[in-house]
Amino acid sequence: MITMYHYLFLGLVLFVIGMIGAVVSRHVIKMLISIEFILTGVNINFITFGTFCDGIKFDGYIMSLFYVAVGAVELAVALYIFYLMYHKNKSENVEDYGDL
Amino acid sequence: MNGLTNPIVFYPACVVMILFALMTINFKNIFYSLISAIIVFFLAGMFFYVLGSEYNAIAQVLIYGIAVPVILGLSIMFTENKAKPEKNTEKGFNFKYFMYLVGGVFVLAIIYIVMTSNVVVPDGFNLTGCICQNPHSILSAFGEGIFLKYIWAFEIVAIILTIIVAGLTLFKKGGKS
Repeated sequence: MITMYHYLFLGLVLFVIGMIGAVVSRHVIKMLISIEFILTGVNINFITFGTFCDGIKFDGYIMSLFYVAVGAVELAVALYIFYLMYHKNKSENVEDYGDL
Repeated sequence: MNGLTNPIVFYPACVVMILFALMTINFKNIFYSLISAIIVFFLAGMFFYVLGSEYNAIAQVLIYGIAVPVILGLSIMFTENKAKPEKNTEKGFNFKYFMYLVGGVFVLAIIYIVMTSNVVVPDGFNLTGCICQNPHSILSAFGEGIFLKYIWAFEIVAIILTIIVAGLTLFKKGGKS
């Protein structure tokens, strides 16, 4: 039998994988994908709470929707910063980015 | 038994999702990482759907499954570093065989869906009963939540999006001049 805690654990695992990827990766795009994993893990938790907890029926869904919008904005800004840094340093490696 | 509590739906999807998430971090080739990430985002959308949130599932698939990978793929293509090509340090793993495995799983899934849609199947193996039927009218509930209950959060997010778009445009113009 699958309970709420299984879904919460899945979200936690995805969050941890994303966090490890964001810390370990040296490629900027891979770091951004890892950050999106973090957001997806949090989204799974939001929707799990929205589904299983009767008191907050649709609040989790709506928070998740806002989170998707903010995540897309964050990605756009991060990609623009990456674009500027790439034009300056000609490298995708974050170790080459000493200054902003 | 619905999709929420059905281990036949949960465990395989969970294992595949975690596996692809780990492979996204592990691949040296960034395109392979991106493909793995797309699969993870689609599976997340499937989980949202199984959990009864169809609207979030559609948003997840459209934004994270399609739009974001397209932007990331274009970024990878336009910023490929030709001056200092990276050495391929991947050893002992052939991506080709892995893609064969994924293709085999997809073919098996299609066969399974075709079989379950036709005739009698063992109890607990019928996918048609696995989706959580949401008894609420989800679109009207979203409308009520966004435009009444969370109107301020909605407006703030809209203002942030507008500022970001205007700011990026101005940055671009400033960079050209």
